[in-house]
Amino acid sequence: MSWMQNLSNAMVLAAIYILMASGLTMVYGVLKVLHIAHAAVYTVGAFAGVLIYTWVGNFWLALFLAMVISGLLGIVIYRGTYFYMLDSPRTVPLIASIGLYVMITDLLQKDFLMGPYQRAFPAQGAGLPRIETRFFTLTPKQVLILLVAVALMALLYVVLTKTRIGLGWRGAAQDREMAASVGVNLNRVISLNFFLGSALAGAAGVLVGVYNNSVFATMGDVVSYKAFIIIVLGGMGSLPGAVLASIILAVAENFLVATVGYVLPRDAIAFLVLIVFLMYRPHGLLGKE
Amino acid sequence: MSRKLFLFLTLIIVTVMLVGCAQQPAATQAPAQEAGGESQAPTTGGETIKIGIFSPTTGFAAADGTSALQAAQLAVTMINDNGGIMGKKLELIHYDDAAKPDQAASIARKLIEQDKVVAGISGSYSGATRAAAPIFQEAGVPMISAYAIHPDITKTGDKIFRVGTLASVEGRVGAELVGSVIKGKRVAILTIDNDFGVALTEAFKAHAKDLGLDIVLEEKYPLGETEFRPIIGKIKEANPDVVYATAYYNEAANFVSQAKDEGLNATIVGQEGYDSPKFIELAGPAAEGVIITTDLNRDSDRPMTKTFLEQYKKTYNEDADMVGASAFDAVQLIAYAIKTAGSTDADAMVKALMALKDFEDVATGPFYRYTPEREVVRPIDAQIVKDGAFHFYHEFTDPDLITP
Repeated sequence: MSWMQNLSNAMVLAAIYILMASGLTMVYGVLKVLHIAHAAVYTVGAFAGVLIYTWVGNFWLALFLAMVISGLLGIVIYRGTYFYMLDSPRTVPLIASIGLYVMITDLLQKDFLMGPYQRAFPAQGAGLPRIETRFFTLTPKQVLILLVAVALMALLYVVLTKTRIGLGWRGAAQDREMAASVGVNLNRVISLNFFLGSALAGAAGVLVGVYNNSVFATMGDVVSYKAFIIIVLGGMGSLPGAVLASIILAVAENFLVATVGYVLPRDAIAFLVLIVFLMYRPHGLLGKE
Repeated sequence: MSRKLFLFLTLIIVTVMLVGCAQQPAATQAPAQEAGGESQAPTTGGETIKIGIFSPTTGFAAADGTSALQAAQLAVTMINDNGGIMGKKLELIHYDDAAKPDQAASIARKLIEQDKVVAGISGSYSGATRAAAPIFQEAGVPMISAYAIHPDITKTGDKIFRVGTLASVEGRVGAELVGSVIKGKRVAILTIDNDFGVALTEAFKAHAKDLGLDIVLEEKYPLGETEFRPIIGKIKEANPDVVYATAYYNEAANFVSQAKDEGLNATIVGQEGYDSPKFIELAGPAAEGVIITTDLNRDSDRPMTKTFLEQYKKTYNEDADMVGASAFDAVQLIAYAIKTAGSTDADAMVKALMALKDFEDVATGPFYRYTPEREVVRPIDAQIVKDGAFHFYHEFTDPDLITP
C-alpha cells in the first residue's frame, strides 16, 4: 500500500477523532470540566442512531435524530449534575462525570436497552460513491465520515464566529463571571454549548458505529481516554488545537503501525506523542498561557 | 499554570485507569464490589443440588458472560424437565464477576461458603478463572472452566477440569489446517496480544515449522483494536496466501471487513474466538470464505449438538455461540459426574469425570476422554463461512494432533 493510501486512511481516523474531541473541547472551554460522561453521550448517540436506522431505514434521518437526542442528553447531564457544581473545586464535577459515565454504560448494557451483545449498523456508506484514484481508494464509508466531519466542523465554525450564540460562548470561555456581568445569559450559553458539543459526540458515535459496523455499550471507552489526549495535546479548550492534534495523532498512529508494526499499541503511541509534545509545549499545541 | 497542568494530567491518568480498567481482563484494580447474586432456582421447594457459576454479565466481556450464563441455565432447565438428578432438581447460582480476577475470587468464596455449591463453573475469561480455581481446589469443590483456555487453570489441582480446547492443541490444528488441508505455502501471522493469542501463535508456529510452512510476516496487535488498515497494508506487501489471525469476534469482524476493503486476497484462518453469529453479522459479506478451527460443529447430526442449537435459539431468540455451548457442556459434565458417582461427593465426582469415555451428551463433543491433566480429548472441527453461516469444512481426529 502506498503512503498516499495510508494518509487517506489516517485522515478518516482524524475525522473521527475530531468529532469525538470537538464537543469535549467546547465543554471544557466554557466549564473547565473534564466531561468524561461525554463518552456515554457518544454511545447513546450510536445506539439511538442504529435504532432509528433500523426503524426507518434512512441514514441521514437517523444521524440527525441521534444528534438531537445526544444533544438533549447533554443538556440533561448539565442541568442534572454540573449545574450544581459550578462553584465547587474542579475535582467534584470530574468525579461526578466518571460516575455518570460508568452508570450510563452499565445501564445501557441492560437487556431492555442495548443488552450485552454488539449490534451491526449496516448503513454502508449511506449511498455515497466509492472514490478510486491512482494513489488511494476511499470506501463509501470513509467518504461518508470525511463528508460529515467537514460539514459539521464548517457549521460549528460559522456558529462560533458569526452568531450571537458563538459570541456569548467565546465570552463565557474567556471569563465566565465577566461574561455574566455584561449580560450574557450564562445558563443558556452553557446549555446550548452542551447541546452542540453532545450532538457532535452523537454524530461521532453514529459514524464510528457505521464504520466498524458495530454498536455496543462499552464503545465509549475509547473516547473516554483518546479524546482527552486530544484536548490536552491541542491546548485545553482550543478547537483548532483539537483539530490539529487529531490529525497529528491519526497520522502518527497510522504510519508507525504501517511502517514498523505494533511496536506499541496505537493508544500507547498516542500517549507517547502527547508526552513528547508536552515536554516542548506544556500548554498544548495552540493552548494559551 | 504548570502546576495546574500537572494536576490535569494526573486527573486524566487517574480517569484513564478508572475507566480503562474495563479494557483489561488481567487488570486487578477496583475494590471488590459486593457482586449482586441472582439465584435462578426452579421454585419447587424441597432440596436442590446447587451448582455455582460466575460469568461477566456487565463490562467489556458481557456478551460472552451472558451467552455462558444463558446456555448453562438452558442445560439446567433441560435436566430438571427430565426429572432432575437422583430425584432432586438442579439449582444454578450465578454471580457477575465482570471478568475481574478479584471479583471472581470473592465470588468463588461466596459460592462455596455461603451457597454451599457442590461444583462450580467458570463462564469467565482466563484471568478471572485463574483467580477462582485455587479457591475451589482448596475447598475441595470441583470446578469446570467452560471456555477459558489458559494452561495454568487446570494445573491448579485435581479438582479443576476444562471443557474448552487448550490453545496448544488448537494452534497445532490450525497449522495442520493451513498446511495440509488448505495447502497454503506463505503464511502471515497476526496475533492478538494476550494469553489467548500468544499461546495459539506459539503452537501454530511450532507445527508450521514441522510442515515446512514459510512464515512471511508476524505481527501483534492489542485487544480491542478497531483500525487494522495500516497493518493490512504491511500484510499485502508480504504477499501471503494464508493469514492466520487470532482474534475475538469483534476484532475479527473489523479485520476481515477492512482486509476486504483494502483488497487483501489471502485466505483468512481464525479459531474459536471468531465462533459467534455476531462475527458473521458484523463482518457481513466479508466473512465469506473465512475458515476457523472450533469445538462446535453447526452441521453436526449428533443429537445433543442439534438439541442445544435448537433449544438455545428457541429460548433466547439468538443463535448460540461456542462460549455458550461450552458452558452448556460444563453443566452436562457435572450432571453426568453426580449421576455416575451417585452422590455429590467431590472425590467421587472427580473419579467419574476421569473415567469418562466417549461421552456424547455434550454440544461440543464427543468427548473421548480426559487426560490425567484434566484436559479433554475430542475431535476438532474446521468450519467455513458460507452463505452467511458457519458450515462444516474438515474434522481433525488424528490422536497425535488432538491430544494435549
